[in-house]
Amino acid sequence: MKVKLWGTRGSIPSPGPETIRYGGNTSCVGVTLSDGSLLALDAGTGIRSLGLALAAEPARLHILLTHLHLDHIQGLVFFAPAFQPQTEIVIWGPASPEASLRDRIARYISAPLSPVEVRELPCDVSFRHCPQSEWEIGPARIRAASVAHRGPTLGYRIDDGDASLAYIPDHEPALGADLDALEEEWISGLGLARDASMLIHDGQYADSEYPDHIGWGHSSLAHALSFARRANAERTVLFHHDPMHSDERLDQLAREADQRWVAMGGYSGGIELAQECGEYDLAAKTSNAIAAS
Amino acid sequence: MTTQKPLELILARNLMSALSTPAFLVDEGGVLVFYNEAAGMLLGKRFEELGTVGAEEWGALFGPFDESGAPIPYDELPLVVAVRNGRPAHADFEISSVDGSRHQVEVSAFPILTAHGSQGAIAVFWPAGSSNGAGHR
Repeated sequence: MKVKLWGTRGSIPSPGPETIRYGGNTSCVGVTLSDGSLLALDAGTGIRSLGLALAAEPARLHILLTHLHLDHIQGLVFFAPAFQPQTEIVIWGPASPEASLRDRIARYISAPLSPVEVRELPCDVSFRHCPQSEWEIGPARIRAASVAHRGPTLGYRIDDGDASLAYIPDHEPALGADLDALEEEWISGLGLARDASMLIHDGQYADSEYPDHIGWGHSSLAHALSFARRANAERTVLFHHDPMHSDERLDQLAREADQRWVAMGGYSGGIELAQECGEYDLAAKTSNAIAAS
Repeated sequence: MTTQKPLELILARNLMSALSTPAFLVDEGGVLVFYNEAAGMLLGKRFEELGTVGAEEWGALFGPFDESGAPIPYDELPLVVAVRNGRPAHADFEISSVDGSRHQVEVSAFPILTAHGSQGAIAVFWPAGSSNGAGHR
């Protein structure tokens, strides 16, 4: 399984000279499965670059949306394959009692917010609510679970052979909860992340920033580290960077994260901050990050 | 493989943990999966000491009694009505603590209904005569 980060930023695109290395595009991760099948995790502005990389190829691809906040769907109408008649796109996302996935997405892909309507997209697009049970896409087994964020929100786990990726980009598992003390089954998202080859997890706030954002649906560094320790993933990539965080600030947070991770018993390099265009080749899990309690 | 509880139960537990009102949580099968510190004070035993209690069993923890002192059948408890019927339920009754002391309470229970159906129910105990549900000791 190969993973490429096309957008790592949270909330709003943040382009500029101060965000060149970590990137300014919002959430999108490309996953190439062992048979060559392609998944896109979320469709923030990063999916535009993913689409350009694919534009020459007729494709069938799946887009797995965690939720429908704008920073996770804004790139849909700028995704080149959506304008190719030979492309088949399946969009998966959370169910809601309010309206279908298609109707909720159509609120964005419609006037006055968009120059095109869903029905006008030239590609063959379909919308599916994620099932509660595991399902298959190509050689991969996919699991989705509701996680703590604002509004119906999913996290995903993708298992392909011995490699596994957990993707929980918007997540506040510590809201009203003690992540170090709770039983595993009572921690939002932990079942998805447990022992994954790679965990991509919300790390939006520095600890000093979190008190002003309690309940906004995102994690502090301390919470992300606690969650990662409990998850015992081989590698954790902190994601959904705050738009106010420059490359310099994120470098500071990366150093702090690594030091704290090592102090918690992990290995240096086991935690890193997501960088746009970062690529990973996930092989079988070889070692544990920290023996979780 | 760890399977997390339904998110709605997780969030309910997190909320209940922060309340000073005694509150109980059952899953869709009627298993008592959590009660908060205030409820533990009322019962005389913390949840951490007790752990989960199966359906049909937890009612006996506090032996609800009606006004004549007769035990109230499990099937008639508000929490059971809420989780089985998917409707809110309310009742007044007396419960006993581990130390044998009796407490008159009002109980309101409501189901936790989600896009995927019922996930359980919550019951809140209001000590009789209390205006805010706290300070029952």
